Amino acid sequence: MAVRMGFVIITSRCIDCDACMVACRAENDVPLGNKRNWVKSSGVQGQFPNVKEIFQPGNCMHCEHPPCVKVCPTGASQKRVDGIVIVENSKCIGCKYCIVACPYDARFPNPVTGKADKCTFCWQRLEQGLEPACVQTCLGKSRQAGDLNDPNSIVSKLIAKYPTRQLLKQVGTGPNIYYIDEAVPEIPQGE
Amino acid sequence: MSKVYTWDQLFSRRQFIKGTVATAALGASATAGIGLLAPESSLGINDSPAQTPAKGVKHVTTICEQCVWRCGVVAKVENGVVKKLEGNPNHPNNLGKLCPRGNAGIETLYSPDRIKFPLIRAGARGSGLWRRTSWDEALSYTAEQMKKIKDNYGAKAMMFNSTDNLSQPFFEILLKAYGTPNYGTQRSLCFNAMTTGFLYTYGMPQPGTDYRNCKYIIFTGRNLAEGISNNETQEMIEMVARGAKVVVLDPRFSKTAAKATEWLPVRPGTDSAFFLGMINVIITEKLYNEPFINRYTQGFEDLVTEVKDYTPEWAEKKCEVAATTIRRIARDFAAAAPAAIAHPNWRTSNFTNSFQNERAIAVLNALIGNWAQPGGLIPDQEMSTAKLGVLSHPPFPPAQGMRLDGVPWQYPMVPLAYGVIQTMRDNILTGKPYEAKGWLISRQNPVLSIPERQKTINALMKLDFVAVIDIQASDTAYYADVILPESSYLERYDGLIPIGNKIFIRQPVIEPLYDTKSSLIIYKELAEKLGLREFLPYKDEVDLLSRQLKPFPVSLQDLQRAGHYEVKNFQEDHSKDFEFQTSSGKIEISSGIMVQMGKKAVPTWNEPPRPEEGQYYLLTGKTAQHSQMFTQNNRWLLEVFSVNRAWLHTSVAKKIGVKTDDDVVVESEVGKVSIKAYVTEGIRPDCIFMVGGFGHVSKGLKFAYGLGASDSALHKTVTDPISGGSSLSETFVTVRKA
Repeated sequence: MAVRMGFVIITSRCIDCDACMVACRAENDVPLGNKRNWVKSSGVQGQFPNVKEIFQPGNCMHCEHPPCVKVCPTGASQKRVDGIVIVENSKCIGCKYCIVACPYDARFPNPVTGKADKCTFCWQRLEQGLEPACVQTCLGKSRQAGDLNDPNSIVSKLIAKYPTRQLLKQVGTGPNIYYIDEAVPEIPQGE
Repeated sequence: MSKVYTWDQLFSRRQFIKGTVATAALGASATAGIGLLAPESSLGINDSPAQTPAKGVKHVTTICEQCVWRCGVVAKVENGVVKKLEGNPNHPNNLGKLCPRGNAGIETLYSPDRIKFPLIRAGARGSGLWRRTSWDEALSYTAEQMKKIKDNYGAKAMMFNSTDNLSQPFFEILLKAYGTPNYGTQRSLCFNAMTTGFLYTYGMPQPGTDYRNCKYIIFTGRNLAEGISNNETQEMIEMVARGAKVVVLDPRFSKTAAKATEWLPVRPGTDSAFFLGMINVIITEKLYNEPFINRYTQGFEDLVTEVKDYTPEWAEKKCEVAATTIRRIARDFAAAAPAAIAHPNWRTSNFTNSFQNERAIAVLNALIGNWAQPGGLIPDQEMSTAKLGVLSHPPFPPAQGMRLDGVPWQYPMVPLAYGVIQTMRDNILTGKPYEAKGWLISRQNPVLSIPERQKTINALMKLDFVAVIDIQASDTAYYADVILPESSYLERYDGLIPIGNKIFIRQPVIEPLYDTKSSLIIYKELAEKLGLREFLPYKDEVDLLSRQLKPFPVSLQDLQRAGHYEVKNFQEDHSKDFEFQTSSGKIEISSGIMVQMGKKAVPTWNEPPRPEEGQYYLLTGKTAQHSQMFTQNNRWLLEVFSVNRAWLHTSVAKKIGVKTDDDVVVESEVGKVSIKAYVTEGIRPDCIFMVGGFGHVSKGLKFAYGLGASDSALHKTVTDPISGGSSLSETFVTVRKA
């Protein structure tokens, strides 16, 4: 089966420290004032003292049906055969259609390159056998990445074992970040 | 005459004026009109690295210094430029992970606000006018001033301050060789209550905690999700994930509270009522470990008498946690024993009764017998740590004179190594018991750390001489006479660090970008200029580290390459786990030293002060994205935490008519600040919280200058006479719409 790269994010393990955001900035030279990934907070919900707060990390969902690719007039926005959605800089004319089209607000105009910019799944690290920078640094092992089509990957094992949800699934993008909110006592071994 | 620069010129535009000390004395505002004449190249400095970059990619293993936790780092260097920092999987302090601060070390290194060469003040103190100088002149000038002070007033008139770092032992050698008794650390602003509380119970200031096997933990001032201590934070997350019980007492809904199984918004300053209530239940219901108490403790009967009236119902009235909750937690906690821990915490020294709180916590742990048991408290690791080689030096001269910080003459129970820095500051101002004249400060920022910022600035202004060693123009450096620029942690060596059976090294990842030195060399060269050469007898860092490594069959080059050395056939020594270094040799439920001091020997209740109508408790704490007052100028970290705000409960915000991000004025007896509001249900309605470390006054920190507000501008100076801890939360404030 073809490779289908995606993320599993375990919100119950995230402490909102934002190490993933800083690691991404370093790895990908993300210019100040912009970001390729994030941690969103639900805000403090409920009434004192019965309150809760949920932290939800995210980045490009590397969708099955990415609207950014569909609207790109030059073919710069592409879905690779392994499922990773990228921007080929030499083809990008900076029209920003893709930025508007993304329902997850995962793209930004890079002020240095003038091109659309986004999470690349750290493919340059994958080629060296490394995890994406955000996954590598995560203190809570909240962020996991791998091949969703490989039943032996960490992400597939997690999806098989725990209930998951996807963001804006109803709009038909087929997002490839699967969220687990339940407690996950142990991260499975995987390939 | 040398050129004079303002901070802006030194750190922002790299332009300069043709100035003299005379024109400089007119002040920074007068210089603006003089004209910016010469191109930046005349300065001979450049923001880009001076060295020819080495081609190719290399990985260097070193130790982080974005906070004091000392995580292992692997730095990726591409063509001489540090591109990425990653956690060293072989390091026990972080197990391959880096927190946001650790990831942002690159920006610390390449910050345009680094101090790039030695500076001597060229205008009035605090005017922000400086002249560039050579290392020789800067060190000679510093040594001359220090000698003059010693000759005229005695060594005691000189104060030495430093904050926890790998080269601190060598700073301590320098101050002892100089002969002053006046040494200031940051401890009294941090965890003096915890360390003294445990010291006078177990004879050990800071036992470890076995999170991995623990089933039930109570945190009271250890916010591991926001005060990140990397491996401990990871352990806390794992505890939550595996369903262990995590109880958090905090007046504020911290991120640790958000992850916990139970959040108890205790009234500030009353945590000890909660713990005394728990002890009452455990004794009344005989849930304690009797054989352990009989064998290893003393004073149990006195405790039984003392806590008789501290029922959960009594405690509820004090701490506002329901009696039924206290009773339930006491029973569940005891049932989980010995895999249960009332965490010793960290900066819980925020009330004058925090010592009693820590004593109650220490004793509660003893009652369930969790000492040296799986899931319980861990005895001191020092016995099981590899011993480095030491350099011999002549005996130190006796330090003459009383200490300015009141230890021990005012604070007999505070260990000398901890000190009481806020009293040192106060006694600079009073001139009692004698006048202080000079201050050498290495990597510490008293202006923003000690309560009552204005007093600290006044103290600096009163002195004859102030020298600061730092990598950036901290608020304290701003008021210095000379700044000795240290190389950043990615450009320098420090002393080696053994952890268990492994020895770790901090080493340069790249050559220094600017004309800076390691503190190891600054201390050594200063010692030479002071005529104290034989006390720091090493040629250079490599010589020193090689001699530290001498007991082991490994070369420094091999250590540098591997990043750590594992001592072969190392045996952990647990033979002294149950030898308690107290006066009785037992765990002192009833403290011998408290008896000697004529104080109540068992943990007891001391009523804390409360805010009057219309006032609020001022709470201070950490955020995961910044370290104390050190990182607010780091732009990568400002991206993820841009400014501190005043947390207000929704009802308070409604009363004063503000919403989130409106400006409010927070005012205490000693100062007032303007700060943005953050309106939330996650705080008690009688409290206002702000993260510390913002509100910098140094114009040399151009991204942090004036950003947010400093708690040090609001905090009153209140000191616990037993632990010396600064009672920060005894500051009460009013709040209104700006």
